[in-house]
Amino acid sequence: MWAFIIRKLVYNIPVYLAIIFLLMVLLRQRDPVTGKLGKNATQEDYISKRKEFGLDQPIYLQYGVLLKSIFTFDFSQESWNEPGVTVGEKLRTAVPRSLALTVPALGITTVISIFVAMLSAFYRGRWIDRLLVFCAVLGMSVSFLVYIIFGQYFGAYKLQQWLGTPVFSIHGYESGLLNWPFFMLLPVLISVIVSMGYDTRFYRAVMVEETQADYITTARAKGAPQSKVMFVHMLRNAMIPIVTRVMITLPFLVTGSILLEEFFGIPGMGYVLLSAIRNDDFPVVEGFTAVFAGLFIMSIIATDILYAVFDPRVRLQ
Amino acid sequence: MNRIKQMINTREAKKLWRNKLALVALAIIMLYLLAALFVMAGGISRVTCDTVIGPNKMPGFYRQDTPEKRYENSTKKFLTKVKRALAAEDVEGALSEVSLGPFTVVNKSPAELEMLVAEVDALAGELNESPNLDIDPSLLPKIADLEAAEAQLKAPLTAWQQFVYDVSILLGTDAQGRSIFLRGIYSIKIAIQIGLVTAIFAVSLGAFLGAAAGYFGGWVDHVVVWIYTTFSSIPNLVLLVVLAYAFTNSAAKDTLLPVYIAFGATFWIGTCRVIRGETLKLKEMEYVHAAQTAGFGPVHILLRYILPNTAHLMLINFSLLLIAAIKSEVILSYLGFGVKNQPSWGIMIRDAGNNGDVVGGFFWEIGFATALMFVLVLAFNILSDALQDAFDPKHV
Repeated sequence: MWAFIIRKLVYNIPVYLAIIFLLMVLLRQRDPVTGKLGKNATQEDYISKRKEFGLDQPIYLQYGVLLKSIFTFDFSQESWNEPGVTVGEKLRTAVPRSLALTVPALGITTVISIFVAMLSAFYRGRWIDRLLVFCAVLGMSVSFLVYIIFGQYFGAYKLQQWLGTPVFSIHGYESGLLNWPFFMLLPVLISVIVSMGYDTRFYRAVMVEETQADYITTARAKGAPQSKVMFVHMLRNAMIPIVTRVMITLPFLVTGSILLEEFFGIPGMGYVLLSAIRNDDFPVVEGFTAVFAGLFIMSIIATDILYAVFDPRVRLQ
Repeated sequence: MNRIKQMINTREAKKLWRNKLALVALAIIMLYLLAALFVMAGGISRVTCDTVIGPNKMPGFYRQDTPEKRYENSTKKFLTKVKRALAAEDVEGALSEVSLGPFTVVNKSPAELEMLVAEVDALAGELNESPNLDIDPSLLPKIADLEAAEAQLKAPLTAWQQFVYDVSILLGTDAQGRSIFLRGIYSIKIAIQIGLVTAIFAVSLGAFLGAAAGYFGGWVDHVVVWIYTTFSSIPNLVLLVVLAYAFTNSAAKDTLLPVYIAFGATFWIGTCRVIRGETLKLKEMEYVHAAQTAGFGPVHILLRYILPNTAHLMLINFSLLLIAAIKSEVILSYLGFGVKNQPSWGIMIRDAGNNGDVVGGFFWEIGFATALMFVLVLAFNILSDALQDAFDPKHV
């Protein structure tokens, strides 16, 4: 297994190098200096600012500097917009906030949609299945934005008017476990509703495939109770696609949800990232993408390994 | 002709044909396409969408503007333009250029117009003295008089113009007084255009690279897999935003080109994966081996034997990518990185949110944009499902 992991890691090094290079080149299509200097800057100011940011050097040198800091896990570069705040600090404060939103959302969505999918697959072709599938398609057809805008309007603003006291925060964030329901519960609920449609359909397709498998027929023929067939035989075998899907989603937990964070004023990773892109804060964008891409590659490798754990037929080669 | 007959007569096509819901969805998509063609043919221009067509008004039958607002509408918008034209050197020329939406100045001599303006001014002056128009109900008839006097300045509309005007305020106007209906319909064209261009580009690129990678294997395969792993390892929205943002200082910044490039660069990956997998399977088929033995070159085999057999996958992916493009366009435009200087559903939703329409309980703009998008995406979703059921039933 270790040989497999090491080979995969080596194989993914060029991918990683390309990601960083691609992002660097794309970002440098813009000129970050002019906007930061203001109107009355002279040519000398411009040149010295470029020097300060290290943009005067040829691109391969900048690339080298960036790679060195990534591979030594050195995130002490300062943000260009907030001098004195390092990229590492930004990540440290923003990532837990994003996780507080995305981890519960992923957990709730996965559990509920697996149950709904099992229900749907069990009654396959009957009205309840059709209704559930149709609801999923309906839910998938509404824009994410609309869920957020109306969720915020009715869930936070109107509810506050009706009840007289604020139940959920409309905008803003404070950390702390006790504050979590007030600031995070509504975004989590919206996120769950949005992803329910996609997940339910996917898991239903998985379950339907499993219900046609021979071992289910065998289990039924042996007289196993329906609940046991569903929860023990089927769910266990459906774990592989489920685990794959959840594993692939894991890196995205860190990115947070740009739209939800933007609307509810939660200064998580999505929020920080979007404002960094808008304000040409290259170190933050680069540092963050480097972390994300690393997590993404590792999750792909981990998925391969988990395959082998769940399915003894799979050999790691 | 025979080929088309063959295509219609396949078992899959018949299965699709029997799916009534899918046919309804197809009909709806056709309607949207017609609307898009109508807009493209000049039915609704970008200028029409930006023209302020009237007072801020709710649709149809309920809630009039406040008296204060009605007073303002009658004394500010059209009247100011007429006054400015009357004060200009070339009065006739300036008057002929005055327009507010469909309204132009009535065909009268400047002297007569001056009198009409004076009449409006006199009425406005009377009202101006009262401290608060909103409170005093006895002033309402006077406001009606004022509106009537102001209407005399406008040239009467022809029946057709009146009809167009009525239709365009069917769903009310947004905070800037622009027609919600026209903007929503115009956005259909933007959505369809972005969807089609990106889906065609992404499917062709994905199919080409995927088939090449699967068929040739070796270093070609490694390079293609390397490219798509790279692109998919950057968070999608970051890549979209960075790509769209890379154009902010170039000449193309106000066109749709940045959006096309951003979507084109990210959307081909899924198709490429699927086609590569299918090609790996197909190249072991006997008919491919037979073609190889017969001495056909790889290009011929790919074009003649492999790609046609992945056509159903391309079709399904095409439909899925259209949905993805339309939905992403809305989000990207909402964030301010997508469509600029012309209406789109994302921009309408953003306007509705930013101008306080939603908080004020005015849902017509966000509602219309959402409804149009919902119906289109729903139709595509149903169609993709039907395509998948018919052509690729084993797909998970």
